[in-house]
Amino acid sequence: MSKHRIKSVALEDDYADDYYEDDEDQSGYVEEDGMTAEDQERLRVATVQARNTLGQGFTSITDKEIQDALWHYYYDISKSVSYLKNKHTPSQSKQDKTRPAKTGSQLAVHHQAVKEPNIHHLLPSTAKDFFWDSPWLNIPFHRQAEIRIEPVFPRLGLLGGSSTGEGKMSKIAALAAKRRLKEKENEKQRGAATHTSGLPEDTASGLSKLRIATSHTLYPHKEHPLRSRHDLQSASRIDQTQETPPKGDALPPSRQQGKDKRTEDNHQLNGSQSGANVADMRAKPSMFARTLMISCDTALPLSSRPPTLLPEPVISSFDFLKPSPDDIVLKAQNFKGSKTSTSSKQQKPAKAKESITNSMENLSVVEPETIKSKNLDVLAEYKKVERKNAANFVVIGHVDSGKSTLMGRLLFDLKAIDERTMQNYKEEAEKMGRGSFAFAWVLDQGTEERARGVTIDIATHKFQTERTSFTILDAPGHRDFVPNMIGGASQADFAVLVIDASPSAFEAGLRGQTKEHALLVRSMGLAKIVVAVNKMDRTDWSKERFQDIKQQMLAFLTTAGFKSENISFVPCSGLQGDNILTRSRAPQAAWYNGPTLVEELDTPEPVNHALEKPLRMTLDDTFHDSVQNPFSVSGRIEAGSLQVGDQIVVMPSGIKAFIRSIRVDDEPSDWAVAGQNVILSLSITEADFDQINIGNMLCNPAFPVENVSSFTAKVLAFDHLMPMPLDVHKGRLHIPGRISRLAAVLNKVDDSVVKKKPQVVHPGSIARIVVELDEPAPIEAGRIILRANGETVAAGHLE
Amino acid sequence: MADKRRINGPASGTAIPIFTPSKSGAHTLQRTRKPNQLRKIYLQPGVVPTASGSAYLELESLCHPSSLLNAVPSSLKLSCVIHGPKPLPRNANFSSNLQLTINVKFAPFATRQRRGYIRDVTERDIGTHVETALCGVIVRDRWPKSAIDIIITILEAEDDVQWGSGTQQQNTVGGLGNMNVVSGCITVASAALMDAKIDCLDLITGGVAAVVPKDDGKFVHHLDPSVIEEPFLNSACVVGYMPARDEVTLVWTRGNIPSYSDGQTCRFDSLLDSAVNAAKGAHVILRQVATELAQAESTKLIIDESKT
Repeated sequence: MSKHRIKSVALEDDYADDYYEDDEDQSGYVEEDGMTAEDQERLRVATVQARNTLGQGFTSITDKEIQDALWHYYYDISKSVSYLKNKHTPSQSKQDKTRPAKTGSQLAVHHQAVKEPNIHHLLPSTAKDFFWDSPWLNIPFHRQAEIRIEPVFPRLGLLGGSSTGEGKMSKIAALAAKRRLKEKENEKQRGAATHTSGLPEDTASGLSKLRIATSHTLYPHKEHPLRSRHDLQSASRIDQTQETPPKGDALPPSRQQGKDKRTEDNHQLNGSQSGANVADMRAKPSMFARTLMISCDTALPLSSRPPTLLPEPVISSFDFLKPSPDDIVLKAQNFKGSKTSTSSKQQKPAKAKESITNSMENLSVVEPETIKSKNLDVLAEYKKVERKNAANFVVIGHVDSGKSTLMGRLLFDLKAIDERTMQNYKEEAEKMGRGSFAFAWVLDQGTEERARGVTIDIATHKFQTERTSFTILDAPGHRDFVPNMIGGASQADFAVLVIDASPSAFEAGLRGQTKEHALLVRSMGLAKIVVAVNKMDRTDWSKERFQDIKQQMLAFLTTAGFKSENISFVPCSGLQGDNILTRSRAPQAAWYNGPTLVEELDTPEPVNHALEKPLRMTLDDTFHDSVQNPFSVSGRIEAGSLQVGDQIVVMPSGIKAFIRSIRVDDEPSDWAVAGQNVILSLSITEADFDQINIGNMLCNPAFPVENVSSFTAKVLAFDHLMPMPLDVHKGRLHIPGRISRLAAVLNKVDDSVVKKKPQVVHPGSIARIVVELDEPAPIEAGRIILRANGETVAAGHLE
Repeated sequence: MADKRRINGPASGTAIPIFTPSKSGAHTLQRTRKPNQLRKIYLQPGVVPTASGSAYLELESLCHPSSLLNAVPSSLKLSCVIHGPKPLPRNANFSSNLQLTINVKFAPFATRQRRGYIRDVTERDIGTHVETALCGVIVRDRWPKSAIDIIITILEAEDDVQWGSGTQQQNTVGGLGNMNVVSGCITVASAALMDAKIDCLDLITGGVAAVVPKDDGKFVHHLDPSVIEEPFLNSACVVGYMPARDEVTLVWTRGNIPSYSDGQTCRFDSLLDSAVNAAKGAHVILRQVATELAQAESTKLIIDESKT
């Protein structure tokens, strides 16, 4: 329980020197707060009565003793009197008995008893003085202290203590009582103010005054109310030191003034016409509210803030443009140093700064992979090499026109496929009941392609003639796979259009993908087209049929934009192998004496690639090559050149990478130029693998492709064009977008504006349109194809 | 030796206070205020620094806390926080007016009957009333595509049922406590709106009045009635009132207007007038607070200027 009580017991055991002072303080403390005014009044009345009852015989008994007794017997006067009589009859010396270990107010009262006049002058200052007349180890009984052990059971009542004065209060309770007293006092002052200001006195203030009336003292003294009365004889015994009010209770005058001012402010509040009493309608914050408001400094309005509070701290933020204190010191030091040193020393910090920035640039989280570049002059190397012409051609045509078979036959005849492999294909095809597809399987490697008998994705294969090294891009003919065909065609230098000559198949093709493919390759800028009229064996090598087809196709292709000298026709049979590498031995085909398909392909074709331009390469494929080269890409270099060790940037993600190795046409190489099909092994971190996708653009970091989200294009409309969603195809890249604006319809010949802002662009007309892409993509000047709902609606090029 | 690592209870415990229902009936206080005298109001704006506006309101407690430990009548303690105006979320429909969201919540300990943590019907009802009152005062078309959240927490409120009575007494209009809460909510929200500097037509305040039967059979209007002081009521009325415009944005009345035999005029109008008078009284405080706030702001401005 209470700590000081235990402490006093311990002190007593030790006969501590300062025992009396200590206890005296406590007694005063308790007396002050332990008794309410009511108690004091009651005690005073009871004391007078008790003294009367005791009569003249006991005048020596002090008031203190009477009060003590009264306190013990709880104001029972008769019991107190009998106790006092008993006590004083046998021996007067019993008065001197001290029982310092008593608790609470009992303790306090006893100490007053110690200070009775008969021993007052002897009041010992030390323990030695106190015990000076006591025999060693034989202290008389009345001088012995009594140790009282506090009962372990708690007193009745709540632990927090109450202000009513029963029992000893805790320190917190004492403080609370003090505060209450203070408030009462303030209220009293305010009550007076209300009176003087002449405002109508309301019941509330009257009540508060009533409450104030119960407290007699302005300041809660350490003095005893009884003793301050003049009719008591012990009045002269009050220690002078106890008269002064304790420090804690004294209100600083300034603060009091502040409070008064606030009260006045409240009184000034009026002006309501309501008839309600306007005086002092504003309440002071409750305990709860005060606690709440302490947390925020803005709570108290400035006007009511006590002036004695600390002045508002002036915190000005530091101006970082100025030199910091450290800088000033350093500068001063430098200045000292520069007196002796040369001016070159002043440049030193700048140099150091530079070196720091440089080293910062060199810092990198990932350890850079050092790939040695041979620093070749690629173009010079390219010119040095005597090499065959390289040509890519795309094989296009309607579905089932025999494109794959024709190419398979070509490869087989040119010994690009060995006999045994071909035999395997034949056997497998027979097993699946598709004997005629054996040659097609040379190119259609996918299981799905073989099962369905159609080409799905672009297949590439290489073969060489004496003069040229060719790459076949076998495009799918089915209309569902036109995007793949566009991807293939974008890499081609010229096109081989395969036409099914069998009855009614040609007509079906002309309405279908024969027409679309031809238009697409033309709009992608391919100038030369070789028309292979296939399946002539089905028509029994009918010359009329061939001529008929030739005429129709010529008419169509010229309208599509091919020049007639760039169009050549070869009747052939993919399945039989006639007129492909060798002339047909069939007697019915004797009428044809033109070049075979391979001869037609082999006619010299000067192809100019943009070697000098910055690097551009659209990725055809990305794959895991080997452990050493975990990330490889393939594609055809469209422009520029590259070599091992070059840094490249992949758009649109902007990832930078180094080229580890290059393979040109499956041969390792140190460099590659535009027009070549290459496989590049890149050094990038694994986290970036899935950021690089098919259709991305490999660029020179110095001249990267910009990601655009909108562009203007001049297009040839194949279908009605209006603002509508569509897919934009550019090589392998295809992105969803929409036509945001139809700018103008143009004249076919001289590109002059025919009509501005048309509502709709009709098929066959040339228009300038603005296309917005759903997401930015690396699109540069070049050919684009616009498709919607699985059909090509327009083709053209960027402006 | 007790385990020091644990938080041990006190060595000597204390008995749990158990409150038994009083046999002597409901504890009431005699109304010592004049009929037209309001309880004192403490109003403090700007209590929550992080909010755009906030205010705290409390009414004085009616009796000394130490006088009756087990029957301390509750007073009203409200805190109001305003967040906003903030832009409406992207997916919300276009709104040319400021969207007002009012959230009134009793703290679980606000009344003797403990409240739940989820908003109940009473709280939603009070919220609707407060919203009605505030919608009329905020200039909502100044803030298109915006919203404000007004969150009022009732920290302490008067019980609707008088403590100790067990059941609601006869002749008493229920919901007087809630009416006081509505009135307080309006006033505190008005102060918070002022603190948040949101354009309003006027400083709206709430006021409550009640018709109380007297012993001599007559009726008297009590402004700002408290549940603990008014065991018998005929009717009560709460208003949200704009004094400068002399307009009422909310009226909520309960109970019966008594009929009179002696020609004493006590109609609904007069009850409404009394409630308006109560609101005018609260307005005096609110105006004073507004003045102080403005002074503080100007002082701060001057200090800032002198610093720069």
